[in-house]
This record gives sequence, C-alpha cells and structure tokens, in this order.
Amino acid sequence: MLDLKQMNRAVIVGHKSIFEETVDALHKASLFQIEDFNEDDSGLRIGRPFENVDDVSKKLIKIRSIASLLGVKDTETKKQDKKSLLASLDGTLEKLDAELDIKAGQKSKLEAELKELDSLKKELLPFNNIPIDLDLYRGYEHLAVFAGIVKEDVESAVSRITSSYDIAYDAKEGTLVLFVASEKSDEVADLLAGFGFRELRVPAESGVPSQLLSGLVSKEAGLLKQIGSIDAEMESLKDKYSDFILASNELLSVEAQKAEAPLRVATSESTFIIDGWVPEADYAELERVVKAATNGRAFVSKQEMTKDDEKIVPIEYNNSKVTSPFQEIMDLYARPMYKELDPTALIFISFPLFYGMILGDIGYALILLAMAVGIKKAISSDAIKPLMNILIYCQISTLIFGVLYGEFLGFSLASLHTEHETVAGLIPGFETINLFASPVGDEMITFPVHRTHLVMTMIIATALVGFIHINIGYLLGFINENRKHGMSAAIFEKGSWFVIELGLIIAILGYAAVLPSVATIAGVVVFLIGFVMLLKGEGIKGPIELPSLLSNSLSYTRIIAVGLSSIYIASTVNLIAFEMIWEPGTPMGGATIGAIIVFLLGHGLNTVLSIIAPGLHSLRLQYVEFFGKFYEGGGRKYDPFGFIRKYTEE
Amino acid sequence: MVTEAVTTMDASGLKAIGAGLAVGLTGIASALAEKDIGSAAIGAMAENESLFGKGLILTVIPETIVIFGLVVALLIK
Repeated sequence: MLDLKQMNRAVIVGHKSIFEETVDALHKASLFQIEDFNEDDSGLRIGRPFENVDDVSKKLIKIRSIASLLGVKDTETKKQDKKSLLASLDGTLEKLDAELDIKAGQKSKLEAELKELDSLKKELLPFNNIPIDLDLYRGYEHLAVFAGIVKEDVESAVSRITSSYDIAYDAKEGTLVLFVASEKSDEVADLLAGFGFRELRVPAESGVPSQLLSGLVSKEAGLLKQIGSIDAEMESLKDKYSDFILASNELLSVEAQKAEAPLRVATSESTFIIDGWVPEADYAELERVVKAATNGRAFVSKQEMTKDDEKIVPIEYNNSKVTSPFQEIMDLYARPMYKELDPTALIFISFPLFYGMILGDIGYALILLAMAVGIKKAISSDAIKPLMNILIYCQISTLIFGVLYGEFLGFSLASLHTEHETVAGLIPGFETINLFASPVGDEMITFPVHRTHLVMTMIIATALVGFIHINIGYLLGFINENRKHGMSAAIFEKGSWFVIELGLIIAILGYAAVLPSVATIAGVVVFLIGFVMLLKGEGIKGPIELPSLLSNSLSYTRIIAVGLSSIYIASTVNLIAFEMIWEPGTPMGGATIGAIIVFLLGHGLNTVLSIIAPGLHSLRLQYVEFFGKFYEGGGRKYDPFGFIRKYTEE
Repeated sequence: MVTEAVTTMDASGLKAIGAGLAVGLTGIASALAEKDIGSAAIGAMAENESLFGKGLILTVIPETIVIFGLVVALLIK
C-alpha cells in the first residue's frame, strides 16, 4: 500500500534493420521510458533520426502555423482513423495551405491599404476645416506657403509686416495656412516661430480636404467589410478543417517523436541499444511486444539495478483508484524517491481528517460538496478532476464532523444550557447531552460538541492528535532510514525520538505524582539516553530540533483555532443578518431583504474562505509537521515513450 | 481641594485587551515574516513552477506565530 511500483532497468538490443519496427512497437505499447544516451568513449554513437524526419517536421510546422493562424483550440471530437487520415493528409494539407495562403495574402494586402488610408487620414485631419484645394498649396515662384499649427490667431501680427497676404486659420485645431510674398517669408517665419509654429506636411493629394476625408471614410468602411468577409471565410475554413488539423497535428507529432527517438539511443555501425525503464509488472508484456514486432530478432534483457540507478529511477505511484487523487498533493511537494515509502494512502486519511476537524459544518459541507460534484461533472479536464475528488473527500469528512459538532452555517443545531445563559439551537427540542467532565479546564464534554465552549479541551485534544501524527511520521522515517542506511542508522536517527518521548512522558507522570516519584529520575535517565542517541544519529542538528517536538505538536492547535475563527465569522454574519438588521418574528419588509443579502454575501465569502483556510492549514500540517519527519522526495516522474492519443486511433 | 477619583479596572476588559494584543501583534509578526518569504517564493516560482509546493511550505511556516497568538487569546478568554 505504501510502496511505489517496482521498476526494472531493461536494455533492448537489435540490428539496425529492425530499428524502426522496434521503436514503433515501443511507442505503441507506451510502457518503456527511454534513458537518454550520452556519448562517451565506449565507441557507441548517438543514433541518426529516421529518414522521414525532415518531411514530418516540415509538415508539422505547416500544420501548427495553420492551427495558430486559424486559432484552432483543443476540443473533444470523434477520433479519426489513422490510416485514412494518413492517406488524405498530404492532399488536404496542400489544399488547405494554398487556400489559406491566398486568403492571408488578400487580408494582409487589405490591411496594408487600410493602414495607408489611416495615415493619410491623420495627415488630412488638421486641414479638415480649411476649404482650400490641396493643389493650391504648391507650385508657386513668388509665394511662400506656411502650413502648420500655431497657438493663436496671428493675422494681426502678420498684417503689420505685410499687407499682401492670404490667411486661413482654424481656431479649433489651431491649423494655420498663410500665403505671403517670398521676399517677406524670412520675416514671417521669425514671427511665426514666436507663436510656437510647428510645420505640417501637406498631403500630396488634390481636392478639398473635407471632401477627401469623407471619401476616405467610406473607402475605409469598404475595406473593413472586405476584411470581415475574409475573416468569415477563414472562420468557415476553421470549422471545416479543425478536426483535420487537430488529428493531423497529433499524428505528425507522434511520427516526429518516433523519428527523433534514435537521438536518445546508442548505436554502433549496425546495431542499436535502447536503455531504459519498465515497471516490473509490465516487463513480460514489453518482451512480448518487442518480440512480436521484430519476429524475435530484437533482444530484451533485465539489468541489475546499481546504487546510482536508484537515484534516477523514474517513479510511478502504485495506489488504488480511491487514494490516487492525493498523488496531486504528493506531486505538489515532490515525488518520492525509489526506496522511500509513498505516503499517499496516509494523506488520504489525514488530509480530509484535519480539513473536516477544522471546518466541521454541515451547511458548508453540503454547499461545497454540491459545488465539487457539479464542477467535476461539468469539466472533464484531467487536471481538475483529482482536485475535485480531494474536495469531495474533504467535504464528506466535514459532514461527519459537522454532525459531531452540530453546526449548520454557524448556527448551533442543539440548544445549550450553561450557567449564565441558554443558547437556543436551530432544531427545536434538540438538547445538548452532557457526556462526561473533561479532565482539563473545568469543561463538560457534550454531544454535539460545542467547540466554542470546549476551547481548553479541544486545544489539548488537537495537540494530542498532532503528537500522534508526528509519531507516525517518525515511524515512517524509521522504516525509510532502515531501507536506505540500515537498522542502526534508523535506531539512532529516528528511534531516538521515541526514547526521548518515552523519557519525557515518564518524567512528567512522575512529577505529576501519577507514578511514584522515582519515575521522575528514571524518566530523566531515559530522556538522556535518547538525547545521546539522537546526538550520535543526527549530530548537532538533533538537539537543535528537539524543541520542535513541542512546537510541532502545538502547531496542531491550529485545527481548533482556525475552526473557531470560521465559526465566529459565520455566527457574526448570522448575528448581523438576523438580529441587527431584521429579527425573525418581526414584520417582514425591506429589512428582510437586506438581512437575506447580508446572509448570502457573508456566507458566500466564508464558503470561499472555507476552502482556502482549512485546505491550506491541513496541507501545511502534512507538509511541514508530518513530511518533515520522514520525507525527502525528489524522484522523477515515470514518463514512458509513447503518446496519449486524443484525436486519432490506430 | 484635591479629589481623588476612585476607579476600578474591569478584569474582563483587561482580558479582552490582552487577547486582542495577542492576536494583533502576532498577526503583524506573521505578516512581516511572510511578506519576505512570499515574495521570494513567487520569484522562485516564476523561474520554476515546480517549486510551488516548497514555496507554499516556506511561506506558511511563520503562520504558526499567529496561530499561537490565537491560541493564547483563546486561553485568556
């Protein structure tokens, strides 16, 4: 249950004439992870890609550029038959490419025209309100023309220099067009400079600007319409061909992957040697597949696994379907190493357990359960599904603790009588039952458990849960250490913690007079023995980590602390909605609606927090407090040579 | 004439102040610690997304400070 899949290192050897068949068979079987070959001085060389690689990659580039041009997205479609696709691939691709070429060419031409129009429009715009034909701006011998932007009307200033001038000024745009005799042009230029004159280029067109502009606008509309119709045509091409594009992209990717496989493989003059990994359970199948594809001419053999191999073995989980969603939580941290225990099955218990202990509310559990099931049904993505499964497990646990705590959206289900007050429950007649007195804090354990009235007891209880959890971690650490470095290392490094804990417990019980007082001294002695063992096992690091025993256990008190904060948010929302804004029993009115809005918004917010806060804190307890005791991780994913086909089938 | 106003401190009020201080100050402490770690973790994640798990763990380590604050506040109550 806690073990990973056993892996074998295998080598496949054969003559180059059956290289392609072998690679083909391996790819189809998708069992074997090829270990990349690095050239050394053994005389073996990295293989050369198969002959079709150029052709395949050219087509692949073409199809991918078409896909990105048309914006083809991954969708679920019917799988296409590989053979018929392969037969029609070249022709269809050619046709599609030619068609798209024409369309894209037309479109880019139109777009270039549109751009030109746009820049002309920008040039014309300042002259819009000046009704002078653009032809009249140029071609004079004795006239100087100034066209540009000035800050204010300069006519009076110009009239002081010369009386023979013609001026047009558009106060709105600040455009000035001024005609003066050439001999006065220097003087006028100086004058204009004083007014912040900025020259404008006169567009090389003929006609009155305002008329030209309106012509441009209608031309532009025509171009946009043409572009729109080309876009629509491309859209229809996309609809028609997107299945083909997706399928052939997949087909060609597979072919390219196969054609490039020799680059990862060692070859000699006439043989190939494929080195890699296969799960032990699948070894026989691998052997059968290779034999069948090559008529028994390629040889598969198992290799002895060396110490160095253990560091690079690809890791495949070996969990049942029920616990496998929690592999996501493992992957988020790091995959286990080959010799390590895989704690997925334990996370399957402890993660929802802590989550439920923190949240423990029937209302939120039902809301989130419905949400998770709904999302799981609606979205078929492989990335979302395991997360939703985890959420569902967590909500089931929350539901159980919700019943235990008797909480519904921050309301208490059962009524509670304390010395000072009586808190009415949501279900009339459901009374809290006193079970027995808690050993700490003068509190009474009841059913349902009222967390808000049992703070002391819950703090101690959660710290104890933590203490147990941490010790499970040490136990796993003991097993891991025993596997990796042998029994004595395990006893000194991890076993010492148990000795230390035992010593502390005996000493405390002796001190508290539960045991005879001599136990105190015995406990201290046991503690010291453990301490020395730890010092030997872990070095100076051990004693430094000693206080973590306490701080880690206390860290689990977050289970009650975060839980209480969630209750308080919920009950505050209820208080604001149903006591402050509107009290049930009073006449309904606008306040009722206000109360319902506050109730919905407040609980909506708390529902979101109910995923984040308990989830993160439960996760942290696994990662920091639990994993810290035994887990190293850092294994690489088992990723067999092959392809998960979505759009094609053999 | 000098009059001396006799006032008594309400014990439950002092307790509430103490509890508030315990949560508030530890919250600030956690925030200060987490802000540096969090920004560094996000920087690391931008380089290598697989560091999310480790980044998350490192970021939430100082969370313990405020949890202890909260526990102390609950104990004061």
